[in-house]
Amino acid sequence: MHNVASIEIEQDIIQANDKLAYDNRTKFDEKGVFAVDLVGAVGSGKTSLLEKLIDEMDDDIGVIAGDILSKFDAKRIEDKNVPVKGLNTGKECHLDAHLIEHALPDVPLDDISILFIENVGNLICPADFNLGAHVRTVIISVTEGDDTAEKHPMIFKGADMAIVNKVDLADAVGADADKMVKDIKTINPDIPVVKCSLKTGEGVQEIIDLYKKFQEQ
Amino acid sequence: MHELSMANSMVEAILDTAKKNDAIKINEAVFEVGELTMLNPEQLRFMMDVLREGTIFEDAKIIINMIPTKIECESCGFTGSIETDENTDHLMTVATCPECKNTRVHILQGQECNIKTIKIEKDDENA
Ligand SMILES: Nc1nc2c(ncn2[C@@H]2O[C@H](COP(=O)(O)OP(=O)(O)OP(=O)(O)O)[C@@H](O)[C@H]2O)c(=O)[nH]1
Ligand SMILES: [Zn+2]
Ligand SMILES: [Zn+2]
Ligand SMILES: [Zn+2]
Ligand SMILES: [Zn+2]
Repeated sequence: MHNVASIEIEQDIIQANDKLAYDNRTKFDEKGVFAVDLVGAVGSGKTSLLEKLIDEMDDDIGVIAGDILSKFDAKRIEDKNVPVKGLNTGKECHLDAHLIEHALPDVPLDDISILFIENVGNLICPADFNLGAHVRTVIISVTEGDDTAEKHPMIFKGADMAIVNKVDLADAVGADADKMVKDIKTINPDIPVVKCSLKTGEGVQEIIDLYKKFQEQ
Repeated sequence: MHELSMANSMVEAILDTAKKNDAIKINEAVFEVGELTMLNPEQLRFMMDVLREGTIFEDAKIIINMIPTKIECESCGFTGSIETDENTDHLMTVATCPECKNTRVHILQGQECNIKTIKIEKDDENA
């Protein structure tokens, strides 16, 4: 004879991640570290932005570089002489709070004031996973096509600032950078959006000023 | 493809709960998945099938209920479903109120990935 029972679980997997994210946030706050989750399409310029910010910002920067398999990004940051922890996700297409929790012991939180977390190049999955960072930046570039924002509204809805990169190439690829800005503002009316070229340096100071503003809040 | 990590967490949580309740077999599991999670229910099912092989969860019936998107408009107070445009496959509509076309809207529902209930079998305690 077997007893049959129905058990309520009511466990939301996304909320379970949020709880871990909250723990990460607590750790950042205890150490006085401002954490940024940097998400964007493949090749949109995430690592280039970090290289630029390391050169131009006064803060002590640390980096967690998420990559599916390679260590290329981590190596590029290492060459800038800042602490970097490479994080390989294996088959996964996004970082989650649990992976960050495991990476944190290898990040010298006592020695840095800003931690940038470069997420895996993907505009879909990271939308569901809060890492515990204070700010989420989405970076897309004109070369992905100027319908990128309207095709991926969820990632912009959950972001705190957005960057439209590679504006130096807009004419060459026939993309309208202003349309991209407008789409992002439609999806998320309160979000600051910066048009930028990491090649010419246009917009970089504006990005740094935004981070300063967020840090002071 | 975050179906794999989702499926993994779901199977783990279910086996964990089943074990705590001394289950010898799981007969059924019910899930709620929001439309906005971008999780494909068929892929989710497939991943779970791979992951639950050889466990007490193996033969259970899996029920996935999709949860439609609901928004609330900050300006006119409209609460309800979004207008999906059959001609477009993107979800830009999550950003616009169908009543007043305002874009300051909050998402109330459609982002969940919930394990609701499981049905388990236990050994009869009096046996
Ligand atoms: N012309 C131009 N090229 C750029 C700009 N920003 C980045 N690039 C180039 O775009 C390519 C991809 O840049 P990355 O910084 O590696 O992009 P990523 O987002 O880190 O890429 P993944 O980590 O692979 O997803 C590199 O060859 C950069 O030099 C820009 O503003 N203008
Ligand atoms: Zn990169
Ligand atoms: Zn662990
Ligand atoms: Zn995915
Ligand atoms: Zn309205």
